Amino acid sequence: MIWQLDLSILTLIVICAFATIMVKDLLSAAIIFGAYSFLMCLLWTEMGAVDVAFTEASVGAGVSTVLFFAAVYQTSRRVGARKSGRLLSKAFALTAALLTGLVLLIAEADFPGFANPFTPASLHLSPYYITQTLHDTNVPNMVTSVLADYRGFDTMFETAVIFTAGLAVIAILRRFKKEARYDLPEPYVISEGYPDTIIRFVARQLVPFIQLFALYVVAHGHHSPGGGFQGGVILGASFILLAISFDFKIVLGIMSERWNVLLGNIGVLIYAGIGFLCLLLGANFLDYSMLSKVLPATDKIMARSHGMLGIEIGVAIAVMAIVVSIYLNIVSHGKYDKGL
Amino acid sequence: MTLVVILLTLTGIVFFFATTVGILRFPDFYSRMHAAGKGDTLSSLLILLALVLYNFHEVNLANLLVAIKILLIVVFIFMASPTATHAIIDAGYESDIKPWTKNPEEES
Amino acid sequence: MDSFFIGIGVALCFLMLLTLHRAIHGPTAIDRIMGVNVIGTKTTILLVVIGTIYHRVDMFIDIALAYALLNFIVTIAASRYFHHRKNLIPKGYGFRFRSEEEK
Repeated sequence: MIWQLDLSILTLIVICAFATIMVKDLLSAAIIFGAYSFLMCLLWTEMGAVDVAFTEASVGAGVSTVLFFAAVYQTSRRVGARKSGRLLSKAFALTAALLTGLVLLIAEADFPGFANPFTPASLHLSPYYITQTLHDTNVPNMVTSVLADYRGFDTMFETAVIFTAGLAVIAILRRFKKEARYDLPEPYVISEGYPDTIIRFVARQLVPFIQLFALYVVAHGHHSPGGGFQGGVILGASFILLAISFDFKIVLGIMSERWNVLLGNIGVLIYAGIGFLCLLLGANFLDYSMLSKVLPATDKIMARSHGMLGIEIGVAIAVMAIVVSIYLNIVSHGKYDKGL
Repeated sequence: MTLVVILLTLTGIVFFFATTVGILRFPDFYSRMHAAGKGDTLSSLLILLALVLYNFHEVNLANLLVAIKILLIVVFIFMASPTATHAIIDAGYESDIKPWTKNPEEES
Repeated sequence: MDSFFIGIGVALCFLMLLTLHRAIHGPTAIDRIMGVNVIGTKTTILLVVIGTIYHRVDMFIDIALAYALLNFIVTIAASRYFHHRKNLIPKGYGFRFRSEEEK
């Protein structure tokens, strides 16, 4: 906690947030929102929460911003026409925001101080995980062990939520009839975009290394910040890079719509499947220590570490497929003919 | 060793400052892009090189791994930042942004 | 040495503030893309500097590498937009409280 850096980064974040709302052009607002995400990740790194910062960097600053661009590409850059000065709705919004802020401030007075070592959470809960994680599961990264082992149920439903989000985008946007495209609300000059040699060459050289790095992030999540979610999102981002620099159809040839949904399914199935395997072996659901009966030459402690690796792989596969699927749907408005 | 680290870092900050002044004060989009693309990459190299040297206060395998990873970031920035510069300038050219001319100036 | 690096961090944040001026007030949208690209590169370096202040660089290197990657992808995506929609509309797209045109 370095207060000088804290103050400077917080100032930048507040300025970015104001600018995002006040700029009229929607594309520019999306760009400044990308900068806001970058700075948010920096703030969390400076506070010491590296796993959260990694997830924000990959999801918020990377894929979310590209999805905003895809949405603006399919709709318009102009904010919709609204009647000037609806005073009642603005007053209502201001009152609601002020009341919520006031209630939060009053509740915050009851909180213990920042990083106070004598709170109930720091006295009873945290020391258990800090002392017992390496002894119970042989995994040095405490965040990964709490996420994947001690609270593994939660993470399984998070993966299911990601899969449901992919399904929801398909349900809303996917169109199968070959109807005429509607007119954009503005007189844009629509062009096809010529193939760019430099971007194609660099993307072709970089994508294997990006994917290798993503696999490293998934596999090394036990010892360094990382894990299944972050690695899966970076894998998905590599396919988005391919779709942007090459043609849309090339990525559709690699990761077709059928395979996307199937891989999303398989990811959740791997996670729940490992849980059921533990059930069949005679323990609780998602109790990985029973996997030592199936895996050769592991004792109960190492079995928990391997179980965590298994579910991280499941999460990575599901997240990668769903990120690619959501991007393909949004950027082509559900018709799968051409994109950014 | 500490002196070299301080010198390299301060040179990197000076180049970053020059980049920022260039972004703010140049009259035209294309010249600003020159400042951003080149100054950014060089300053990153200098500051990250200084941090590699700072980590080598004792030479063992862990520090070697960290040094290789930082150099990997440098290599990636060297490959990616000029490509991003090219992409942005291409976008500007496609959108018909006119270069700044000295005389006469129709629109400032 | 720690206070030197904290000073470097604050200097980088100040330079980011100056670049943010271009990212917000840039007359065209492409100026903003350029501003965000520069902010992204500065953030990558600031991450490694923070790691050095905390004496645990090995944890923060992976995040810095992922950052550089995603900065690149966002910039390429933003510039490819302008290959497909060619009208760069300069007027009426500034700050909400400054421009008067409301079509």
